[in-house]
Amino acid sequence: MTGTAVMTGILPQEFAELQPFAGKWAKPTEYERAAERRSATPEQLKAFYDAILLRLPDILERIDRYPLGEVTGGDRLLLHMALSLAEIAPHVEFYKSDPHVPFAFKEERMFGMHSGIAD
Amino acid sequence: MNAQSKMPLLAPYPELGEAPIPVEPYLSQDYYDKEIEKIFRRDWLVVGREEEIAKPGDYKVKRLDFARTSVILIRGKDGKIGAFHNVCRHRGNKVVTETGGEETLGSNKAAVVTCRFHGWVYNAKGELVDVPQQQKFPACFDRAENGLIPIHVDSWAGFIFINLAETPSRTLTEFLGGVVEHFDGYPFDDITHCHTYYAHINCNWKTGMDAFCEGYHVPTIHAGSFPGLTDYWQGDVAFNGEHRSIAFYSNGMNPPTPVGTAANALFGASIALARDEPFPLPKLVNPGRHPNWGFEQTTVFPNFLIHVGAGLWFTHQFWPVAQGKCLWEGKYYLKAPKTNAQYWAQRYAVILQRNAWLEDTATMEDTQEALLSGVLKQMNLQDDEIMLRHQFHIVNGRVNGE
Ligand code: FES
Ligand SMILES: [Fe+2]
Repeated sequence: MTGTAVMTGILPQEFAELQPFAGKWAKPTEYERAAERRSATPEQLKAFYDAILLRLPDILERIDRYPLGEVTGGDRLLLHMALSLAEIAPHVEFYKSDPHVPFAFKEERMFGMHSGIAD
Repeated sequence: MNAQSKMPLLAPYPELGEAPIPVEPYLSQDYYDKEIEKIFRRDWLVVGREEEIAKPGDYKVKRLDFARTSVILIRGKDGKIGAFHNVCRHRGNKVVTETGGEETLGSNKAAVVTCRFHGWVYNAKGELVDVPQQQKFPACFDRAENGLIPIHVDSWAGFIFINLAETPSRTLTEFLGGVVEHFDGYPFDDITHCHTYYAHINCNWKTGMDAFCEGYHVPTIHAGSFPGLTDYWQGDVAFNGEHRSIAFYSNGMNPPTPVGTAANALFGASIALARDEPFPLPKLVNPGRHPNWGFEQTTVFPNFLIHVGAGLWFTHQFWPVAQGKCLWEGKYYLKAPKTNAQYWAQRYAVILQRNAWLEDTATMEDTQEALLSGVLKQMNLQDDEIMLRHQFHIVNGRVNGE
């Protein structure tokens, strides 16, 4: 069943080394991914970034085996984790791993019209 | 253009003056009331995009807090869009319950809206087509006289505008003037994949507008998210009546990073990352076809900013809510992704832009609060802030006009 992997949070076997990160970072909405980012330590951001970046080309290749918006099963978890990478990348690459956007409007007061809709 | 001038953008427009602009328009309740009465209740205002209500029966309800109303935009079976106050002719309930807050989208196969309170039904022309238990109403009650209260509505380039005036003094085309030719051929209709953010901000609507209308703040405010855009310049100033345009050029883009580079290779979706794809622009946009052109900003008076780039465009809108309160809406438009990997790449670009908008909006309440101290009487503007200067002159002229 395709839904089972999403429910149990088990990544495909080939990505077993990313499994320890799945619980925090395989979240289906921008809203949740941003909240996880804000609650992370700089060390957690960096550790996840380093681990998933190595496998990014493989993940992108894998999700492109599906039609747009139809990624299922454990690969859907990988998509969500890649989107968490997109969420935290500016923080690691530009903001010295600060989990918040520096000198910013309070994030919780800015709403994304679609940020609560699951990817 | 006068190359000798210290203020080359401003030099051709001596009527704008060089003096500081007053702070009072950002603080005065009386000034705000006049802005609402003489500008927002009289001019054409953007309230949506045609593709948001693409099919017959699709509707959108948009709150307009400055007018204490909300507007129903509904596409009829004939394809025409009607605009009406969201006020039932029975006892005044909202016809469409605003479950979406600022914007509520919905669809009805029969292209009607039904008031939840007692079930009055209106079609897309606003006509009252059904009244439950109509026989219990007195003889003087006439369905034909109790349609929804209409609002003037028209479209340009896929943007839906409304006008709250009983009789608008200008048509939409007259109002837009040269803006229509300015954007001639830009494929707004082709780049419709929209990412929306919004926030209620405790500042005057102009304090918000100002923070997006100049490049002067980019090296400081955006040192975090756009570290590569420090070496910028502005040009191509154009004034079309109340509307204004200016272009942003830059010598640099964000430095290559692992994730930024991976995303950009899949889809050029960010203004801070180089995009190589050739993209046709209207002849008045980047008229010199300069390779360092980044994007252009046009303010459609009074409160709507359209930024067009190569292959992407985005808008900001500041809705007055009260003297020191406004609603900000930022919308970022890309071509629809074709693959999941492209979708991922677009999300990266949008998140980076979202963060830049968090940097922009961070200034607004601080500015407003500091102005409230009353100790500052004037603002000193440099050449790159010419859009603020023009805004002051236009708004002030209207507020102090008849
Ligand atoms: S108030 Fe709308 S039907 Fe009664
Ligand atoms: Fe900015």
